[in-house]
Amino acid sequence: MAPRAPKADMSTRTLISPARLARPRGRLVYWTCFALVVVLFTLAFLGPLYWMASSGLKTTQEAVQTPPTWVPGSLHPENYGRAWEVMDLAKLLFNTAYYAFGALAFQLVLDVAAAYSLSRLRPVLGKAILGMMLATLMIPATVLVVPQYLTVLDVPIVERNLLNSPWAIWLPSVTNAFSIFLLKRFFDSIPKELLDAAAMDGAGPVRTLWSIVLPVSRPILGVVSIFAVVGVWKDFLWPMLTLPDPGAQTLNVGIYSLATSVPENVLIAALTIASLPTLLLFLLFQRTIMGGLTAGGLKG
Amino acid sequence: MRRARLRRTRRVGAVTLASALALTVLAACGTSSSGGDDGDAGGSGNGAGGDPAAPLDPKAKVTLSIDCMPPAAKAAELRQWNEDVREFNRTYPNVTIQGRSTPGQCLEPPRFTAMLKAKSQPDVFYTYFTDLPQVLDNDGAQDISAYVNERTVPRLKDIDPDVLASLKSEGKLYGLPTSNYRMGLLVNRKLFEDAGLDPDAPPATWEEVRTAAKKIAGLGDGIAGFGEYSAANTGGWHFTAQLYSLGGDIVDASGTKAAFDDETGREVVENLRAMRWDDDSMGKTQLLKWGDLQKQIATDKLGMFLAAPDDITYMVQQLGAKYENFGMGPIPSGRATLAGGNNYMIKKGISSDKVKAAIAWLNFKFTTPGKGHYDWQRSKADGLPVGLPQPNLWLNGTKAEDDAARKEHATMPVENFQAYMDKPVPGKAEPPKAQEIYKVLDNVMSGVLTNEDADVGKLLSTAASQVNQVLANR
Amino acid sequence: MSAPALAKEPAVGAARPPHAVEPGPRPGGFRRELRRNLTAHGFLIGAVLCFSFFSWYPMVREFLLAFQKTEDGRTTWVGLDNLVKIVNDPAFGQAWLNTLWFTLLALVLGFAVPFVLALVINEFRHGQGYLRLLVYLPVMLPPVASVLLFRYLYDPGYGLFNEVLGVFGVPAQPWLQDPDTAMLSVVVAATWMNMGGATLIYLAALQDIPGELYEAAELDGAGLLRKVWHVTIPQTRLVLSLMLLMQVIATMQVFTEPFLLTGGAGPEGSTTTVVYLIYQYAFNFNDYGAAAALGLLLLVLLAGFSAAYTRLSRDQDADA
Repeated sequence: MAPRAPKADMSTRTLISPARLARPRGRLVYWTCFALVVVLFTLAFLGPLYWMASSGLKTTQEAVQTPPTWVPGSLHPENYGRAWEVMDLAKLLFNTAYYAFGALAFQLVLDVAAAYSLSRLRPVLGKAILGMMLATLMIPATVLVVPQYLTVLDVPIVERNLLNSPWAIWLPSVTNAFSIFLLKRFFDSIPKELLDAAAMDGAGPVRTLWSIVLPVSRPILGVVSIFAVVGVWKDFLWPMLTLPDPGAQTLNVGIYSLATSVPENVLIAALTIASLPTLLLFLLFQRTIMGGLTAGGLKG
Repeated sequence: MRRARLRRTRRVGAVTLASALALTVLAACGTSSSGGDDGDAGGSGNGAGGDPAAPLDPKAKVTLSIDCMPPAAKAAELRQWNEDVREFNRTYPNVTIQGRSTPGQCLEPPRFTAMLKAKSQPDVFYTYFTDLPQVLDNDGAQDISAYVNERTVPRLKDIDPDVLASLKSEGKLYGLPTSNYRMGLLVNRKLFEDAGLDPDAPPATWEEVRTAAKKIAGLGDGIAGFGEYSAANTGGWHFTAQLYSLGGDIVDASGTKAAFDDETGREVVENLRAMRWDDDSMGKTQLLKWGDLQKQIATDKLGMFLAAPDDITYMVQQLGAKYENFGMGPIPSGRATLAGGNNYMIKKGISSDKVKAAIAWLNFKFTTPGKGHYDWQRSKADGLPVGLPQPNLWLNGTKAEDDAARKEHATMPVENFQAYMDKPVPGKAEPPKAQEIYKVLDNVMSGVLTNEDADVGKLLSTAASQVNQVLANR
Repeated sequence: MSAPALAKEPAVGAARPPHAVEPGPRPGGFRRELRRNLTAHGFLIGAVLCFSFFSWYPMVREFLLAFQKTEDGRTTWVGLDNLVKIVNDPAFGQAWLNTLWFTLLALVLGFAVPFVLALVINEFRHGQGYLRLLVYLPVMLPPVASVLLFRYLYDPGYGLFNEVLGVFGVPAQPWLQDPDTAMLSVVVAATWMNMGGATLIYLAALQDIPGELYEAAELDGAGLLRKVWHVTIPQTRLVLSLMLLMQVIATMQVFTEPFLLTGGAGPEGSTTTVVYLIYQYAFNFNDYGAAAALGLLLLVLLAGFSAAYTRLSRDQDADA
């Protein structure tokens, strides 16, 4: 289950045989295709991003001009400042980070504890509980939105209305059966001898978890953390419903609800700013993120 | 929701003395507002509480929570609110007004729905005219018929009866209005002049709209002559307005059958089809919703569209447009126009003194010429827009008085709205189950505006049968 | 007490005499068991509470809501009324057709394109890192940013796409503005936004194919396409089927992209999906009963796919 390192070395045999590639004609075709693909990919994936960043620099008039201009006629970096201020992006970014990392903390504590208990402590009814958790994977998430929303409006027993409170994001994020499943499967694979040795030393479950299990589980914890943060960061419908207060909105919802109330160029500038944090994060941690994806199985 | 947050803080025990005090006040108001029916829970227990028709006794001690107070970002409006509270307290020193503010729109449907469901609305809460059925479904508003009269709201007889009718159900009054609108034709004066048209004489019929739109679109450069919505239920909303302008109706008098699949309905759709496809004067981008046309006209990409006058304030404050660039005429053809607006309602079950205090405050702030909202001199000094023809709740003497004050302190060229003012088109309320019907009618609008070969008759007959089902359901 | 827990017991307390696993535990063993269970449930309780409130209870409630109606604050049982109501809604048939159409398009684009991209990337001995990076880049953008960017690119007047088509002499397209092309445009945007993950998963699967298989095929004289058909696809069959099911499950639940690109309904209702209809019922018309009934139908349909997925992924685990 360890992340597979990307293999690009010459030894990997693929569709086209190395012998054919070695021939001069083969090499010419290879390099032509390569150049073509690189250019096409760059246009397809960076082109829209260039368009976004550059349109944010245009005047309002130029941004909605027919036909559009490929390069801004004059540069207006102040659009970015205006977007930052008018849409209160600092607050939206802070809110989103607060929800995302809060959800991460809750998942790391509660889901790891649960997976550890199910994998190693094995209480009575543990199997049934695991089964019920996994059963939630069968229910399409969007179907549950309505009853979940009604629950958040008036949580039974405790009788609290969680609307506009971060708890409306944090607590439901814990019900991530897939993460629990991944964690449990990883914990299952930890050699028994390692844990037995700890038990011999008189370590309780908490200490075993903390000083034996968690250190060897770093790869899977990374994967689960990425899923947790990215999940909250990219969610739209749920935060739109449960955090309607403009002061509590996430980046996605805030931009959506203010999209009609700013000029087009300022909106595009705001989109650029909103994209930056995750792009930077991605460029910094691309190996972990892309590796974690394939390691974590098939939930992308 | 703010209360919930505070309550949690208290549980944790991390409260300063100040917020503890605030909590006590909130808790107190929470308890009293949940107590019993009106009348018997009267806070001060004085005798005047017994007669609903009598104005509030100034000695009565009342705390009133109210939403839609201007947020800090709207500094001038917030300052005015606070000044008004102080002035109000000179007459009623024992009434404490607790305003709650919202940074964005005061009312967003999901939040509003949740609030009604949780019965967490403040004592006095803000709604749109069309929200009345939903509020009553949730048993959320107090019948204030007995409380509102010439003594408590002196200008009552000069308030447009159409406006009051929107706040009534089965003859009972449930709210007091704060603003209203009648849809008209908003024009971009610059584009009118560029196209050789007279911006002071906006098109008066749909025929003229079509001619003008064609001329404006002829300017090229991606400029559209006339714009319409076709998404997010706003398409159906404007279809309704156009239909009303030709004397049509969405639902028949019995309220059970669609009434737009007729000559009038076809005229509306056919006219749009001709402008969109024969003349190509409505632009290529469709599926627009509220906010999109405002952006287009603010960047001089659109000649005209149907709008309420306060859209102009929005475009100036949010989109950087200039007041001088806009003018308004009455809705073309003008048999009737869509009318709507905002108001405050009073939470059901609060004490009769509270109801009286609420009415006294609302009357002072929103229905007294020269005071509160109608203190135009102050608004001008604070740099707020003065001179828009609407919101305008008034008729008769009060209208004359208020119009004169608006003109005197105007911060924009009021003559740009002369055409709109000169021809008051009768207002007509939105149909029952408005949002569900608008959703269906969106398809008529998007159909004709995005499909060149759309079958006008079929669009309307399909929509009519769908609306019939909407009306039959439940 | 479950069997594996018993079997585990001796390992935990190695010092215990062997007969401790026999039935009829002594008081000490019982107390010990109790304490172990308390600890274990202590670890579980947080997650279990969250599941109870925000997953299990809502699941039950979904079923109840579908057969209830709330009016004037009173909730009553209405049997199948909600179901009858939604089936009679004229938007019902259209929403299902649109959703199936979207799913079909998403399979052609969202399923096939990443596989082809992965095949292509896998052939290169250079710049793989760069290409992988590019493909995955859009996945990291906030969806609202990507979607609003696409709306801007699609604009028939000032949009970039028609401008680019113009360069190649192709006439301007209406994109989102036409009932015939609206859904396709939504799918193109959704594919651009989401295919990075699938591409990387396929790449990983491709790199696990033993090279000898290709060599053997070449000895049989197989060309490029036949190698793909006879070696690549069979070798990645499991991953492909899993991704296919996942794609179906995910796209049948699509909401954000049409909601933001066309306002939900789209031209002549051509992008109204089932989930958008659920949203309309619940949050615009306040009819939670109808929303739950429609949700139940979607659930029943997708449960079949989910069950197939679960089975297949078990197979995959067994393979691994």
